[in-house]
Amino acid sequence: MADTPKTPSTPQNLRRPKELPLDSDAEDELPPLELPSANGLLNFDSDDFSNLTPAQIYEMNQKLLNDSVPTRPLIDILAPMSTLLSEYENGSPSFLKQIDWLIKQGFDRVRRTRGDGDCFYRSLGFAYVESLINSQDREFAVASSLSMLSSTKDTLDKAGIERLVYEDFYDEFTFLIESITRPDPQGLVLNSDRLLSAFQSPETSNAIVIYLRFLTSAQIRLNREDFEGFVVHPDTKDPMDLDSFCANVVQAMGKEADNVEIEALCRALQLNVDVAYLNGVREDGVDFITFRNDSNSQAPPLILLYRPGHYDILAKHST
Amino acid sequence: MDARLRRVNKEIADCKNDKTSQIKIELIDESPFHLKGSFPGPEGTPYEGGYFEVDIVIPESYPFQPVKMKFITKVYHPNVSSASGAICLDILKDAWSPVLTLKSTLISLQSLLCSPEPNDPQDAEVAKHYMTSKSSFDDTAVYWTQVYAGGPGPKDKKGKGSGKERDEVAIAGLEKAHVDRFEQWDSKEIDALRRLNYRGPNIAQISDDRVVEELLK
Repeated sequence: MADTPKTPSTPQNLRRPKELPLDSDAEDELPPLELPSANGLLNFDSDDFSNLTPAQIYEMNQKLLNDSVPTRPLIDILAPMSTLLSEYENGSPSFLKQIDWLIKQGFDRVRRTRGDGDCFYRSLGFAYVESLINSQDREFAVASSLSMLSSTKDTLDKAGIERLVYEDFYDEFTFLIESITRPDPQGLVLNSDRLLSAFQSPETSNAIVIYLRFLTSAQIRLNREDFEGFVVHPDTKDPMDLDSFCANVVQAMGKEADNVEIEALCRALQLNVDVAYLNGVREDGVDFITFRNDSNSQAPPLILLYRPGHYDILAKHST
Repeated sequence: MDARLRRVNKEIADCKNDKTSQIKIELIDESPFHLKGSFPGPEGTPYEGGYFEVDIVIPESYPFQPVKMKFITKVYHPNVSSASGAICLDILKDAWSPVLTLKSTLISLQSLLCSPEPNDPQDAEVAKHYMTSKSSFDDTAVYWTQVYAGGPGPKDKKGKGSGKERDEVAIAGLEKAHVDRFEQWDSKEIDALRRLNYRGPNIAQISDDRVVEELLK
């Protein structure tokens, strides 16, 4: 099925490179938990987990997850690439060499996102709106973006996603994009700094994340033949039914994305995206996986940095 | 208006305007974030004819976080706590998505009544009953539907449908003849037999001594 000639449009990069480690969110690993004291913190009297109902255990997990990532903002200011070096000081030297390689190629800054499972969508959403702000003809870029986004509503309608559940997220997303060229009551338009604070506020940031998730899900379900056969369970890597994949992995908050989702979303938004794989599998460079869905294949891509289980935004020093 | 309130108002209005749906959503008090949902038990199940109410709490970060739901009406079902009404259903936990609404979630609860998942139970005892003796489980579920959800009661069985007095033996999913063997009629015996899963083929496995031992605990 995977290589039948019927699916010529399916790019090879839908397959995850075999050598990639499959663990997740290396950067935001939870500190080891001392369970009894954690219990006290969470107002559970019992120190015996077998007494807890599944609902209680779920609540407790959620609370621990929420408490474990309070320090990193949803998305951060641009930081020099060298800040990543310190994280790998005691680790594999090939990571250090790959970071050096990226810096030499001019990728000297990174914009980090919280490792909450939504990092791909949040990174892509931010990089996308920022590319509109930085485009040479802003008026044109914003107008084309709004017209393209308006047509995504039809995609969602066709996929059976109710208007009631997506319209607020759509409005939030397009309002942000409109404000690139339309001054607010204080006479200010959206710049990179204001974009950052918008993406750091959970309401706006999560609305955009979920709109992108809905759009990804709709794109996959409306083009089943392109994606079926590539869809695997994120934990077990076993093949998975496409509809449950969309319902449980793509449409749910906090579930990580892989190449299927990236390809689908880049098609839906007609984007060129490069993903740099910082994975320590080689020392003499970094592999870039490229997604080309802009009608202009030469249009500069958005560039994301992938480390096993996590996406951030990679930036070249502005020239 | 905040995003959560805007969304909940739309959902309530949408449910009101939908004349074909069997799902109802009502306010419990002044708060739009504490609601009561209700729906009829699905046809062809032991819950048929009953009317089931669900307590709904909308968390602060709704719709990014799942809505909290539990049954107000007592339900005899492997995935619903017979004591608290707590529900074991993936979409109320980690499979939640903002694509779901109060209405679609209540519809999922209604379907849960059609298709129990005894391997992922909320109430282990009820699940055990379901697995060991499906017909006796059904009798109890029908009885609970009658007593708690206004259901019609057992079909084709004369003299039983009055529903005036609660039959504690039936509520526990036991059979009267089995309980009678242990003479004294009070809830202690019923509890002990229920704990031992004194039902169906299990009865042959449980000696009278074992029952007495359980009673003396």
